[in-house]
Amino acid sequence: MAFKLHYHRLLSLVLLILLLFSVHRSSAGVEESFIESVPDLQNKMYMVVDGYPCVRLLNISGEIGCANPGRVKVVAPIVRFKNDMFKLVSPSAILVPPDKMEDFFNKLHSDKELAQKIAGVLIKTNIGYSNEIFGFSPVGKFPQAEFAPYRNTTYNWNPAGSGVMWNRYDFPVFLLSQNSTLKLEEIVESADIHNDKFHVDVAEFDVVMQTTKVGNHNSETCLKDQSCLPLGGYSVWSSLPPINVSSQMEKPIILAMASQDSASFFRDRTFGADSHLSGMIALLAAIDALSHVDNVNEFGKQVLDVGSVGKGFSEGKATFFSHVEEESSGSKEILSALEKAAASLKPDEIVIQNASSSNPGIPPSSLMPFFRKNPSTAGVVLEEFDTNINTTSIVSAAAVVARALYILASSGSGFSSSILSSININASLVEELVACLLTCEPGFSCKLARNFIISNEACPNHYVGVMLGSPVAVPSLENVGDTSRFIWNFLAERNSIRKASSNSSCSQGCTSPSEVCVGAETGKGVCVTSTTRYVPAYSTRLKFENGWRLVATNAEDPLGEVDPVWTESFWNSIGLRSYKVQSQTYDQLILWVGIALTISSYVAILAAKAALRKSLKRD
Amino acid sequence: MTVSAGIGYALIALGPALSLFVSVIASKPFLVLTVLSSALLWLVSLIILSAAWRAFLPLKSSIWLHAILLITSVSLQEGFRIFFWKMYKRLEDILDAFADRVSKPRLFLTDKMQIALAGGLGHGVAHAVFFCLSLLTPAFGPATFYVDSCPHMPFFLVSSTLTLGFVTIHTFSMVIAFNGYAEQKRVDQLFVPIVHLAASLLTLVNLIPGGCLVGIPLVYFVAFLTLLHCGKMVWRRLHENYSRIEVAE
Repeated sequence: MAFKLHYHRLLSLVLLILLLFSVHRSSAGVEESFIESVPDLQNKMYMVVDGYPCVRLLNISGEIGCANPGRVKVVAPIVRFKNDMFKLVSPSAILVPPDKMEDFFNKLHSDKELAQKIAGVLIKTNIGYSNEIFGFSPVGKFPQAEFAPYRNTTYNWNPAGSGVMWNRYDFPVFLLSQNSTLKLEEIVESADIHNDKFHVDVAEFDVVMQTTKVGNHNSETCLKDQSCLPLGGYSVWSSLPPINVSSQMEKPIILAMASQDSASFFRDRTFGADSHLSGMIALLAAIDALSHVDNVNEFGKQVLDVGSVGKGFSEGKATFFSHVEEESSGSKEILSALEKAAASLKPDEIVIQNASSSNPGIPPSSLMPFFRKNPSTAGVVLEEFDTNINTTSIVSAAAVVARALYILASSGSGFSSSILSSININASLVEELVACLLTCEPGFSCKLARNFIISNEACPNHYVGVMLGSPVAVPSLENVGDTSRFIWNFLAERNSIRKASSNSSCSQGCTSPSEVCVGAETGKGVCVTSTTRYVPAYSTRLKFENGWRLVATNAEDPLGEVDPVWTESFWNSIGLRSYKVQSQTYDQLILWVGIALTISSYVAILAAKAALRKSLKRD
Repeated sequence: MTVSAGIGYALIALGPALSLFVSVIASKPFLVLTVLSSALLWLVSLIILSAAWRAFLPLKSSIWLHAILLITSVSLQEGFRIFFWKMYKRLEDILDAFADRVSKPRLFLTDKMQIALAGGLGHGVAHAVFFCLSLLTPAFGPATFYVDSCPHMPFFLVSSTLTLGFVTIHTFSMVIAFNGYAEQKRVDQLFVPIVHLAASLLTLVNLIPGGCLVGIPLVYFVAFLTLLHCGKMVWRRLHENYSRIEVAE
């Protein structure tokens, strides 16, 4: 009878709860993603954070960059950046906004006590601003000062330069992607709100460098121990028009150069340094324009260098500064060509101005080593000051360069002004190049790039990278970076002699030695007559003989004496994860509760057995 | 959550079952076999259930669908329990006949109850391994996990505590059920499926945000009821049986 009452009560309880469900069903809003397996659960527990790491670089005298201090992963609670960081109790991972980064790192470099409390640093990415930060420059005030052909190496070419990237940090640093910034912001905010003592959100940094494990602290030892590789890559040169090997006459050369890589605090990501590539884009557009001119003959021994090009459209005028080292006749000729070129374009819209006399010489550029080697080189650096890329200014620079090159190239026979005025820049090509080389969408998945290369990363990476394999004149394409391969294919195609007949496919290579295969990787390669080559670019202090070796300095190579010989450490894997962790007290508590339950249930069972036996015997 | 927490969670879910095994079951090989075959039977019932429900995958996230799934699952398992009882009855007759032939005593009531207990423990342990231990591997790593609908306790703690409740329910329900079938007592026969269904449906409370604070105590309440009912029934039965013997003597 007593049970029937229980039964009724139970049934009504169940019915009541079922009723509750029908009320709550709409309000519960059960719309969670399901965990369907243990690996799913594992993935939900450990959130992989996308980021760009700062890695360990070594030079002749020491190290720069960042790495885990030892051989193990670094795990630390994530803490928001505050101005009173010195109040931190235990080593933490600091979430830093990008505008506070330079000051913070300068402080860390000088204050060793504060640096000990920092287990790792996470730099946020400003949403909406992508990679552009006004005035951010981790390089020094005079980049590449050691290669300057003049004595004043303290001149402030880069006022915004903080020099933070040249310091050595013994903790890992990551630049977060936009997505990860949002996720970590959420985590830190909810931690601030809940302030739970029992669990805490941590970041786990895996930036263990091989040089740290082996104990190498400079390039020489790490190259010997094979724990690093030298920084370097493949430059590209191409001749317009293609060199006719059978012709006896050797023509003099005009060299137009632009840099295709950039240094950065974070290995695969540059903040606002895209202006480096603007010079390259201007040069490519200029070559494209020139390639449409018939009978381009080149002679004259002059060097024109296109440096970085940026904004500068004040009152509708684009102002470019030309820098020369010495007022040689060669340099004067280049300057005059530039002025004539500027004049032939829309008048009063482009101005070539001589650089200020307070400058000690040419600005940091690829021209510096040329002058250091041979002070009578005729060369000009064309530059315009910093910050954001502007397609119109790139088009202007390209137009000036293209026309100036034509003037210089025809300086013997004189140039034709009708041909000069027909040299115009394809503005849509410039836009396409900007989209391919300077953005992640489309990046290297753009149409122009897809005809030339196959890239795994849509986001173009302009970090110079390391020399893979041995440095050879015809490298295997997997050892050449995406940017270099793109430029090679572009120049090979533009600087080729166009044949009337359809081009042959080069799946088996090209027959004639003067031909190269454009777009070989895509499978739809085409043989063209062009003189385009890769040039291995690495320190003159290194030699490759079954591995890299540092060679002694010699008097014939003065630049080798000041060459820092940059190398990059090997690593096993680089990663960043975030997860929740319980306090140690909690873990111990759970263990003891489990043990207590087991023991007490054992005791209870024995007691029950004894009680039953006793009562039955009694009866 | 580290190794100590992982071991802790495993012990919370299966510690009492381990104690029961060591103190009652381990010394008798027949009981060990019973535990194993009962566990196997429970797993077979789940395989059949999942095969039947395969046709309806993927399931939408709806409490009513979950309820229907639970009801079909409990019904199938209760059906298997009856099947298990029938197999046991046949085995009991065979064993008794064998005992008569070799002039050894027949199965005592306590033996029969221990066999039922072993059967229940087999069900419980299989439930624990399937629904808790298999998910516990990540708990041995450094991270923990909180479900959105239960931010008060880690997921692994919820899982382990619920499992302990169900191990208790399964273990002692079998004793009640076997007794109910043996004595033809309707109350006992109905108690077990109702309790099983109630406990299963109560787990749906955990889906509501903050529900785990209510759901888990409710399941423990049901487990306590089961334990109480079983205790009362065993006490009564054993005393009835032994007083009958004395009367007979």
